[in-house]
Amino acid sequence: MMNTAPEDWSARSRELALLLSRAALGDRLAFKRLYDLSSGHLFAVILRIQRDRSLAEDLLQEVYVSAWKAAASFDAQRAQPLTWLTQIARNKAIDSLRRAQAQPRLETVHRAADDDRPDLDQQLVDESPGPAALLERASDARQLGHCMEGLSAQQRQSVALAFFDGLSHAEVAEQLRQPLGTVKSWVRRALAALKGCLERAAQSDRAVGA
Amino acid sequence: MDYGNKTLADALAAQYVTGTLRGGARRRFEALLGGHPALRAAVADWQDRLLPLTGVLAPEPPPPQTWVRIQQRLWPELAVAPLPWWRGLAFWRAASGLATVAALSLGLLLGNPPGAQPPVVVVLQSTGGDPAVAGSVVASFSADGRAAVARPLARVALQTDRALELWWAPVQGKPRSLGLIKSDGVTVLRAGQLPGGLKGSGIDHLAVSVEPSGGSPTGQPTGPVVFYGKLQL
Repeated sequence: MMNTAPEDWSARSRELALLLSRAALGDRLAFKRLYDLSSGHLFAVILRIQRDRSLAEDLLQEVYVSAWKAAASFDAQRAQPLTWLTQIARNKAIDSLRRAQAQPRLETVHRAADDDRPDLDQQLVDESPGPAALLERASDARQLGHCMEGLSAQQRQSVALAFFDGLSHAEVAEQLRQPLGTVKSWVRRALAALKGCLERAAQSDRAVGA
Repeated sequence: MDYGNKTLADALAAQYVTGTLRGGARRRFEALLGGHPALRAAVADWQDRLLPLTGVLAPEPPPPQTWVRIQQRLWPELAVAPLPWWRGLAFWRAASGLATVAALSLGLLLGNPPGAQPPVVVVLQSTGGDPAVAGSVVASFSADGRAAVARPLARVALQTDRALELWWAPVQGKPRSLGLIKSDGVTVLRAGQLPGGLKGSGIDHLAVSVEPSGGSPTGQPTGPVVFYGKLQL
């Protein structure tokens, strides 16, 4: 189940908007339905950033507890519910990374180079697509390929690491082994390219729709 | 800072939605949103641009207990009411443990309110009346005989136009129907069909017969008796 197309996002949001407005009036069944329809997406968003499953589950609980309490303040005229919920989920997930960093980290144990057992890193290879692959998929789904062409692979990678995996500028810089200032400007440039491209896409959508 | 400045508002909003505005900076930014419509508008634009991109993530269903915990946090007054004694897993576990013994009845103290009489359980064993039907059925009566439930311990395979009907009978005399029971789950028996207090009710044994799907057309068992158990008080 993929729900990348913007119209799909909007269609799901319309249904959620109704449920959210009922939840704001205290309708618990509507809230349960909202949960059923959105929790799979939000859990995926959180897990992408916070890989610890049990922490991610706690965060998901917090998202819905917050959503129930803030349902009355949600303005359906100005925002889409799925967008609103996704933002709440992302903020909580990113905050949890900061908290985790404040705690001592386990040192990585390096095995001896002459050890001929299969590399543990390779056995535990992460099956989920990397952030750049996700960005590429998202771009394909929204026909953004041409916006991305002007960006280098590293520039695309930098914005994808920040956006999908919740990495800070400093962490992206560390991962890509680039100076912080460089990474910041890459992210800025990539976002500007995305923005220009999405605005053009929206304009042509309107032109086609007219 | 001039948060009405469009370029600045746009840059901050982009960072906020991308997730690179962190910690204290993000919280200050969020606090500013309330008073700065231009910032809010910039954030909304970036959210509309970027957040749908998360739609490429394959949905990940959370475990069932997540919703249970959310409910507990939001509505603690819903703190799960204790299950009726016959719904408790321990009850059915105990009952199925007894099923190996021939017809047997006993009282079980399963968290009943103090002073409440334990229920009376009758295990009906398969009679072999229909070679396709095996296992046992457990019928359980509240001590006052006014409420009862019955359930096969394993799903009973029946033809689609057949149903199980539960009967009680005195030592001598005709059986009386206690109604149809589910072949694959718990049936709550209708109080009107119960004989009332078990002592002195004259119930000697219980039986289950295979009947047409609407129940016995004659008011007496018409199909093979497939389960049988004595009531012992």
